[in-house]
Amino acid sequence: MATYDFIFDGLGLRGWCGEKTNATMSMEDLLKARSGETTSLWDTPFPSLDNLHDACPAIAQTRGLTGGLENGFLAVKDSLKVVLDPITQPLSWFLNGALSMFQTVPWWIMIPALLAVVFVASKSWRLVALVASFILFLAFIDHYEHAMQTLAIIFVCSFICVLLGVPIGIAMSRSDGLQRGIIPILDMLQTLPPFVYLIPLIFLFSVTEPKLYGIAIILYAIVPVIRLTNLGIRLVDKDVIEAADAFGMTDRQKLYGVQVPLALPNIMAGVNQTIMMSLAMVVIASLVSAPGLGVLVLRGIRNLELGVGLISGLGIVLLAIILDRVTKAALARVNTSGQ
Amino acid sequence: MNKQSLYALALTGAMLPMAANADCGEVSIAEMDWVSGGINAGVMEFLLTQGYGCDVTIVPSSTTTSIASVAENNEPDVIAELWVNSAPAYNDLADQGRVVKASDAFSEGATEHWLVPSYLVEEHPELATAEGIMNNPELVGGRFHSCPDGWGCRFVNDSLSAAFDMEGNGLEVFHHGSGETMGAAMVAAYENREPHFTYWYGPTSELGSYDWVDVEIGPYDADVHACNQDPECAENGISGFPAAPVVNVVTTDFAEREPEAFDLISNVTFPNEAMASLMAWHSENQATIDEAVVRFLQTEQDVWSNWVTDEAMANLEGLF
Repeated sequence: MATYDFIFDGLGLRGWCGEKTNATMSMEDLLKARSGETTSLWDTPFPSLDNLHDACPAIAQTRGLTGGLENGFLAVKDSLKVVLDPITQPLSWFLNGALSMFQTVPWWIMIPALLAVVFVASKSWRLVALVASFILFLAFIDHYEHAMQTLAIIFVCSFICVLLGVPIGIAMSRSDGLQRGIIPILDMLQTLPPFVYLIPLIFLFSVTEPKLYGIAIILYAIVPVIRLTNLGIRLVDKDVIEAADAFGMTDRQKLYGVQVPLALPNIMAGVNQTIMMSLAMVVIASLVSAPGLGVLVLRGIRNLELGVGLISGLGIVLLAIILDRVTKAALARVNTSGQ
Repeated sequence: MNKQSLYALALTGAMLPMAANADCGEVSIAEMDWVSGGINAGVMEFLLTQGYGCDVTIVPSSTTTSIASVAENNEPDVIAELWVNSAPAYNDLADQGRVVKASDAFSEGATEHWLVPSYLVEEHPELATAEGIMNNPELVGGRFHSCPDGWGCRFVNDSLSAAFDMEGNGLEVFHHGSGETMGAAMVAAYENREPHFTYWYGPTSELGSYDWVDVEIGPYDADVHACNQDPECAENGISGFPAAPVVNVVTTDFAEREPEAFDLISNVTFPNEAMASLMAWHSENQATIDEAVVRFLQTEQDVWSNWVTDEAMANLEGLF
C-alpha cells in the first residue's frame, strides 16, 4: 500500500485513478513487498509525482514529465529544422572551408603567414619570436595538424561571435528594455553546462555536420563580447555625448564617430575573452566529432594515457597563450593610439 | 598489510553480527557507466546482499579507471563487465596473479558488427556483404560511421577500411567524437529510414530495439585480426570480428577472502538475448537501471536461480 492512498480514497477518486498498469518496480518496492512493513511517520515520503503515482496511477511519474518534454521537442523538431537548417548551413561551409584551408596550405606557407598576422596585429618582434617558437615546438612534436584544426575552428567561431555579438551589444546599450531581456539569457548561456544544449543540437542536426560543434562553441563564447560591447558603450563619458549632441551629430554619426571608438578597448577585451572561451570549448566539442587537440585530450582520458593527455593539454595551453598575447598586444595598440 | 586494509578489516569485524550470513563481509563492486554494466553490478549487489548477507558497496567507475585502481590499490574487489579489449592492463594483472576471471559477463561474449538497417537490405540485398557495399557506396549514404579515438575498434576499423579501400570506393570514413553521438546517429537514421552504415557492438539497446543486418565482412582469421588490432602492424587484411571477451573480474585476495561470494560471481553470466531485450525494455520504458535489475530478477528467475546456492535461495524466498 502506498503512503498517499488515503488522499485518493478520501476524495472518492479511486475509480478515476484506475489500475496500476506499468511494469516498472524499484528495488525498494520489491524489498518492501516482502517485509510487509508499513512506513513509519518518520520515513513519510515527500508527496512527489513518483510517490503520488504509487497511490494513484492516473498521476504521471516524473519520467512522464521528462518524457513529455522529449516528445514535445521531437514533435516540433521537424518544423524547427526547416527553419534552422538553412540558416546555420553557412556555418558548416565556413568550418569545412577553414579546416581544409588550414590543412591543405603547406606548413612553410602557413607558419610565415600566421607570423605575419601576428606582426601586423602587434608590431612586436618579441611576440613574433614567441609565437614562432611555440608553433615550431608543436610542429616538432607532430601536433601541428591537430593544432591547425583547432585554430581553424577557433578563427571561424570567434569571427562569427564578433560578427553577431557586437551588433547585439550595441543594440543592448541603446535600449534598457532589451538589456533587461538579454542579460538573463547571457547568464543562462554562461552557467548552463554545455552538454545540456548539445543534446537538442544532436537531435536537430546530423551529427556528421561540423555546425553541430560550431553552434555549441558560439553559444558559449559569444557572451563576453556582447557584455563588454554593451558595457563599453554605456561607459562612454556623458559629457562627450553632450558635446557630440552640441555639434549636431546624428545618432549614426555619434555611434560610429564617438561611442564605438571610445568603447573599443572594452570591445577588444570582450573579443579576447571570446577567443579564450572558444578555446575552452575545444575538448567538449570533440565529443561531438570536432577535430583538433581535443580529440587527443579525449584519447588521453579514455585510455588513461597520461603522456598523450599532458602533451595535448600543453598544446592547448600554448595556443591559448599565443591567442591571448596577440589579442592583448592588439588591444594595447588600440589603447595607445586612442590617447 | 597496509593501514587501509587493517581499517577495512576492523570495520568488517564490526559489521559481521549485523549481516544475515556470518561468513560474508564487505564487498566493493565497480559499476561501469553504461546500462548493461549497471544491470550486471546491480544484480550482483542484490544477490550478494539479500542472498549471502554481504555488505556491498557500489563504486561508480569505468573501464580504464577501475583496472588502474585495482592495479594501484587492489580495490575494488569486483569489476563487473570488464571489456578486455579496452583494458589491456587486465592481461598483465591476470598474468601476475593479482586478479582472476570469475566468469564471462555474456554467454556469447560481446559481439562487434558492421551494420546496415534491415529496411535497406530488403530493398537492396547486395548490401548484406561488405563487397556489395563497396560496389554501391551511394546506397548507404556514402559514409561509414567509425569509432572515436581511444576505442579499441578504431584500429580494427581503420585497418579494415584501408584493406577494403573505402575512400577509393567513394565511402567517407567518419570518426565520431564519442559513443553517444554514434548511437544517436544510428537511432536517428533508423527512425527517419535513412541509409546508414556503421560499426556497433552488442549487447546494446540499439541492437535490441531496432532491426539491423550484420554485414558480412569475411571469415574470421586470428592472425589477420590480431594485425588489424595493432596500430604498429602494417600488413592489414580482411577478417571478420570474433566475439570479444567481456569478463567479471575479482581480485585474488577477494577470491580467497570470500569464497562463497566468489562462487556466486563465477556463475553470473547473462545470456546475450536476455540482456539485449532487457536493455531495449529499459530504453523504451525510460526505466532506471534499478528497475531494470528488478525486471530481470522477476522475469528471468530460471536464469539466475542456477547461479545461487540453495542456502541463498532460501534467503531470497518470498521476494518473487
